[in-house]
Amino acid sequence: MRWEVAFQSLPYLVRGLEGTVRLGLLVMALGTILGIVVGLLRLSRGLPYTAATAFVELFRDTPLLMQIFFVFFGLPALGIRLSAFVAASMAMTSFAAANAAEIVRGAIQSIPRGQMEAARSLGLSYVQAMRYVVFPQAIRRMIPPMVGLFTTLIKDTSLAAIVNVFELTTAARQVVERTLASFEVWLVVAGMYFLVCYPLSVLARRLERRLVSESP
Amino acid sequence: MSIDPAFALRVLPPLVRGAALTVEVSIWAIGLATGVGICGAAARGSRIRPVRWLASAYVELFRNTPLLVQIFFIFFGLPRVGVRLSAFQSGLLALVLYTGAYNTEVFRAGLEAVPRGLREAAMALGLSRWQQFRFVELPLAARIALPALGNNFVALVKNSSLVSTIGMVELTFVARDLEAWTFRSFEVYGMATLVYLGLVLALSGALRRVEARALRFLRPPEAR
Repeated sequence: MRWEVAFQSLPYLVRGLEGTVRLGLLVMALGTILGIVVGLLRLSRGLPYTAATAFVELFRDTPLLMQIFFVFFGLPALGIRLSAFVAASMAMTSFAAANAAEIVRGAIQSIPRGQMEAARSLGLSYVQAMRYVVFPQAIRRMIPPMVGLFTTLIKDTSLAAIVNVFELTTAARQVVERTLASFEVWLVVAGMYFLVCYPLSVLARRLERRLVSESP
Repeated sequence: MSIDPAFALRVLPPLVRGAALTVEVSIWAIGLATGVGICGAAARGSRIRPVRWLASAYVELFRNTPLLVQIFFIFFGLPRVGVRLSAFQSGLLALVLYTGAYNTEVFRAGLEAVPRGLREAAMALGLSRWQQFRFVELPLAARIALPALGNNFVALVKNSSLVSTIGMVELTFVARDLEAWTFRSFEVYGMATLVYLGLVLALSGALRRVEARALRFLRPPEAR
């Protein structure tokens, strides 16, 4: 065992972790915005509903790795050439948005129908009723699963390593190639991911429990 | 370069052959991860504190680290301590441990949802602790757990694409190989994505039927 090798590489691995967190935050932010739009469209009818449903099914029912390959290697065939970072973030944002959309839809549908009906009968338009009455109530129910989704995304950013985006798993592969201390480095790296993801999981669970105990 | 639909059809047969290994590893992993989930949930509800503690540690460790890192650790890291596994064994082990951790939580939630009165009734009938678990708690818990369990299985099929990184020649590996030979990435990855979509939709369709069958007893007798 050469644990000192893993610890000497720690500064480099921490830089990789920064890349992981940065990518995770970017994808989560963009994915949430897009997810809210898609989630609201899932509550509509006609073409917007069909398009939103197709989007959700496509990105939830296929592996993220395939989506990354498709965007990074496949889109250039249509003349769209993207850097590995942009391609990976685009694929992951779509993946995040599809999952966030289901969270948004579920949360809005869990708000009693009477809220919308009361708001509409007060003369608010559908958009106003959604914006001022239903959505604000739904946000509270979205937060715990969104924190859970964020945990998943942090773990999934490791897939960006396969197209050589610099983040923790890429950094780890480089260190392993240089030092051959595969056991030590991968264990340390797993520990680093754990240090980021475990507090998030605990937070998600706590928020969930508080929501359950508060609701009547 | 433009899109060539005829070429897309030509790559379908090799992709389907690759999908056979995806299906094989998924079936093995579904079976084994279900076993791990039941044992893990039983351990989490154990009266012996260290057993409970170990099971929680297992769940938290495997749920809060990326599957890709687990695969690399098992395939590249373990040989350094003398544990040498083939690509198939490593990939399968990682998938089973990762999904097993999620299944443990699902079965635990299922067991917790079993009404206390049933357990007490079983005890009053003189069933041993094992008989209570096997014939009263587990059948009900498994039915409660079924929808969430199905989601884990769907995730498992998608996650099996990661074992291509250690050289298992499944669907994703075949797609990457075809792409490297032909440079027709749009068609190859587009078709591979569709094959995955087909696998996932077939699995969720099958799961819906299993669910309907398993929950048949909840419907009124005339509708069975």
